[in-house]
Amino acid sequence: MRRWSAIPGLPPLLACAGLLVLWELAARGAHIDGLPPAHQALKQVPAILLDRESLFHIADSVRRMLIGFALALAFAIPVGLAMGRSGKVAAFFNPLLMVIYPVPKAALMPIIMLWLGVGDASKTLVIFLGVSLPLIYHSYQGARAVEEKMLWSASAMGMNGLQRMMRIVFPASLPEIFVGLRTGLVLALITMVTSEMIARQAGVGNILFNSLDMALYDRVYAMIVIIGILGFVLDVAFERIRAWFVAWADSQHQIAVGTS
Amino acid sequence: MTQRAAPELLLGILPIALILALWQALTSFDMAPPALLPPPMAVFRRLVEQLGNPIFLQHTFTTLLRLFAGFAIACLVGVTLGLMASSSRVAESAIRPIVRVLAPVPKIALYPAFILILGFDHASKIALVAADALFPILLATYQGAVSVEPKLVWSALAAGTTRRKALLTVVLRAALPSVLTGCRIGLVISCIVVFLAEMISSTDGLGHLLVYASRSFETVDMYVPLITISLLGLSLNAGFNALRRRLLAGYPEAE
Repeated sequence: MRRWSAIPGLPPLLACAGLLVLWELAARGAHIDGLPPAHQALKQVPAILLDRESLFHIADSVRRMLIGFALALAFAIPVGLAMGRSGKVAAFFNPLLMVIYPVPKAALMPIIMLWLGVGDASKTLVIFLGVSLPLIYHSYQGARAVEEKMLWSASAMGMNGLQRMMRIVFPASLPEIFVGLRTGLVLALITMVTSEMIARQAGVGNILFNSLDMALYDRVYAMIVIIGILGFVLDVAFERIRAWFVAWADSQHQIAVGTS
Repeated sequence: MTQRAAPELLLGILPIALILALWQALTSFDMAPPALLPPPMAVFRRLVEQLGNPIFLQHTFTTLLRLFAGFAIACLVGVTLGLMASSSRVAESAIRPIVRVLAPVPKIALYPAFILILGFDHASKIALVAADALFPILLATYQGAVSVEPKLVWSALAAGTTRRKALLTVVLRAALPSVLTGCRIGLVISCIVVFLAEMISSTDGLGHLLVYASRSFETVDMYVPLITISLLGLSLNAGFNALRRRLLAGYPEAE
């Protein structure tokens, strides 16, 4: 048992296979219209991915997601680091963030659409809002835990505040920031899918519900599989990037959990 | 400490007050048409009015019912699987890879499948809430249970406790701080997810009220359900924190 579970990548693959077998058996046993067998749904996956229009919608969704993620990154990391190094900044932002925390971000979609229209801007803004919070939180935690002595040495070497932030605080907080980035990436995907499901304009979420409305159940499940694969692949790819950047820090065996 | 707390509190209220002031200014200087951004007082008045409205309360109750049903299932399944994974190698080698695969998958994508299998009524929403809240609870339980001092379990076993009983009375107790943290995160997630599910497809509940208002361009009524669910999330979070402190009285790491 030890031997096979030591091969990297094998246990998750086996888990996928197991889940598919379970699905196939459940579908054959239950005979529900709404649950086609796995093989039938999986046949639709290449069909969707080879179809020009749906591929365009998926690529468009991913593009919006990455833009929203990048904007959140540029905003949240400086805010989080500043909060971690200054008690005043932390006291300023903390209550506001606490109030925003339980607001369902994707639910803002109809309101934001009133202001900014149905285009890219509102979707990107919602993703930005969804991702910013965990990024701020983790940058804050990272910056708070920076060793004081390093900062004193840096001051003694003649570094000013900004230099200390860039040369000491930012690199030292990097492992924690990456934890936040990983959660944020999964969250960006979730917010993207949810907001598209609510707005029903374009993108992955729209394909999903259009197929549901047209009773193309194989396609619904194929789309779910595609979104699932997207989530898993983004997570694994990000873990690789993280490991490469912060190999010097202790690797944390944590599984990212997305929240809406 | 108390001397420092007051100015810090003021500093914290400042951004919230600024946002409200900006909102008020935008509406009272006619910078934003009321159809797009209603004045804050109008939203607040409507909120108070709706809180006394039995139909609105009925929708709120439906939402809460789904929320707690899904959350309860997630707690039960999450804690059980987490404890199992921590206590047996066989269970761990089965649960770990499945969790690794399913945790980063956006659970909201499963919602159409839940609708198809479980129907449009309560069950599909409850299933989605349970699926979304499950993983943080499971992982927190697992991480808490794995880091329990093994000597505690050995002593219990040496004293003649059965394995299963030791798991419940020793491991679960010792892992309680971590378990409850996971549950608190799961609770806020449940709150958000139930609202989104109701927005996507429902005929009742707070989320449906928002979508309904947006279809009929009743802007004020769009804000009221959103504020209500956020207040519910805030108070559930605060309530759970109080409960957690109570349950963890005497634990060394409790704040």
